[in-house]
Amino acid sequence: MFKKIIAIACLATMPVHAQEGAFAEGSKAKSWNLTAQEKARFTARVVDVLCELTGDCAAECGKGTRQLGLIREADGALIFPTKNGQPLFTGAATDLQPYCGKTVEVDGLLTGGDEITSGMSKIYQVQRIREVGGEWGRANRWTKEWAKKYPGAKGKGPWFRRDPRIKEEIAKDGYLGLGEEQDKLFIKDLY
Amino acid sequence: MYRTVLASLALSALAALPAQAAEGKRIEIKGELIDTWCYFSGVMGGPESVVGTAHHTCAMWCAAGGIPVGLLGEDGEVYMVLKLPKDDESNGGETFLTLTNDTIEAEGMHYKRDGINYLVVSEVISNEGIPNKTHEDFGVIPGNTIPKSIVKEVLEEG
Repeated sequence: MFKKIIAIACLATMPVHAQEGAFAEGSKAKSWNLTAQEKARFTARVVDVLCELTGDCAAECGKGTRQLGLIREADGALIFPTKNGQPLFTGAATDLQPYCGKTVEVDGLLTGGDEITSGMSKIYQVQRIREVGGEWGRANRWTKEWAKKYPGAKGKGPWFRRDPRIKEEIAKDGYLGLGEEQDKLFIKDLY
Repeated sequence: MYRTVLASLALSALAALPAQAAEGKRIEIKGELIDTWCYFSGVMGGPESVVGTAHHTCAMWCAAGGIPVGLLGEDGEVYMVLKLPKDDESNGGETFLTLTNDTIEAEGMHYKRDGINYLVVSEVISNEGIPNKTHEDFGVIPGNTIPKSIVKEVLEEG
């Protein structure tokens, strides 16, 4: 508790421009040219967000089914990771799942927040992760886990073109979500 | 004795809760279920271009990929959806995937922690489907959403 108060007091006394990069020290995060992008490397405990907020807890943080969060050691803030390091429409929870309940060090980018919605905090992209003192690993295990889950979806092209659930939805409602006829009208109009 | 037992049970229940369980507020809210990564990161353009029909397929990719689905309320706030009725599979779950870009009216518990809104939906009161026809202004985002082979097939149909 005392450490937390000291950390918050230190952050509060920093000038505004320094606060914007308060967790950038030592970060090796790669730029993605994101909105209000900010490098951030910090230690945190991995939690099941639903459990943390509501007390509705599941064994092993939901075993990969739930969104996971990071309780940052320096200030106790709940940071919400929404993206892993792969440029493939993939979230962060699957990469964080092996660390459920553990304290990790993460490196990545904060983005969005107040720039988009007034008063909102930034969300987080995890690029690297390690148990404190351990070896760094890239946050890129999502596609490997997907391949294990859908062994019949092997083939050319990225996972999202082969995912059976997405293919089923597109077959049902089209690319616009309005049905095949609307897709055809759109394509004829645009091309 | 009875009071002692009740007090013990209450203490046990409290002990099972996380240290900082937030105060929730029951709300009714209407809005579109969106892809939060593209909306906040700007990776594909401004927020107005990554909602509705223009971004529907990409939003499904992201929902299936485990990117959190958010409810963009009529108040302009985004609420990260942690649970839908009887479905807590917010990391790429089926229900989350199938509802992307639908405009729904929902009842649930709202939590706010460290500047982020979270929503636990207990009931979907109504679902309007996808009334937000953004493809009329933006086409599809990203531009290669519809495979060339499909475009060719449709154009050849005449």
